[in-house]
Amino acid sequence: MRDKYMELGVGLFVLLGLAAVTYLTVKLGAGSLLSTDTYPLEARFANTGGLSKGSTVMIAGVTVGRVDGVRLDPSDYSAIVDMSIASSAHLPTDTMASIKTSGLIGDKFVALSPGAEESFLAPSSRILMTESALELESLIGKMAFGSVDGEAPQTAPEPAAKIEP
Amino acid sequence: MKHFTLFPVVASLLLVSSLHAATADAEKALQQSINEVLVVTEKSSGGPQLAEDIQPILDRAVSFEAMTRRAVGPGWRQFTRQEQEEATRLFSKLIIRTYSAKFTPGQQPDTQFLKPSSPGEGKVEIPTTVLYKGSRYAITYRLEDLGRWLVTDILAEGVSLVANYRAQFDALFKKGGAPAVIDSLKQSVARSS
Repeated sequence: MRDKYMELGVGLFVLLGLAAVTYLTVKLGAGSLLSTDTYPLEARFANTGGLSKGSTVMIAGVTVGRVDGVRLDPSDYSAIVDMSIASSAHLPTDTMASIKTSGLIGDKFVALSPGAEESFLAPSSRILMTESALELESLIGKMAFGSVDGEAPQTAPEPAAKIEP
Repeated sequence: MKHFTLFPVVASLLLVSSLHAATADAEKALQQSINEVLVVTEKSSGGPQLAEDIQPILDRAVSFEAMTRRAVGPGWRQFTRQEQEEATRLFSKLIIRTYSAKFTPGQQPDTQFLKPSSPGEGKVEIPTTVLYKGSRYAITYRLEDLGRWLVTDILAEGVSLVANYRAQFDALFKKGGAPAVIDSLKQSVARSS
């Protein structure tokens, strides 16, 4: 009788352990399957630079969604990124999506920067203002060796000046 | 019945042709503006006078209002009408002065237009390569149909001008609201003159 209780206890312990592992896998892994309170959005990029399914989507450093997939648009060979965004994040239509890297060699993620428009992106709509992943190698190459047409080494143009506070 | 089966084909043909017309119109408008700027730079000896000379051309070709609004981001809604106008005026001045200061007299850029695309209705992206002083740069122009085709963002080597400023303005706005943004713009414009 005592052995029976012991076996039942061990069985329950194993089951609890498996449930905990499953919960953690879902919560910390590629997607929160338990949460359905999201809406789909897509964004078009010239280059995703290795962004993959499960990458995070952030606003001001706060995770607000996940990348559901990256596919190729055969009409112009651009990349379409499908994302799930938390329903609580209402994004203006001029929201900008940029592909960033956490640290110098860290994972790629999508950074959303909300704009000023008073209309909001509807579910399944497309973010039109995007900034592709920067290719550090090509920029360093240009700075170090100049370009093929160059007479003298040139640096890449500054995209914009810095505003001093 | 035949009419119903033909309808999607005709509709998609019309859509494709209207997209082609839109990209062609946008490209033509951009080409014309670039040519006008080149005519001015050809005779110019650079300096602040160049910024003054190209300002009217760029005012016609670029929507500085849309650019400033997007560069400021969510804080724009809390600007008063007067502050919005002031920020737009200063931002356009800053952009024009910053880039005209990089112009070297006697050196003309050579722009090659690549295949444009339309990411959405009323929006066209025109990628170009610019050969200037021996180096080649990838510059993409984003245009929108706001009554006429106007440039609303420029990407240099993939970096957006609007996104670059949005990151800076957002921090300033959170620190001191609209006056902080306008003050920093005034200081930057004063330094660039």
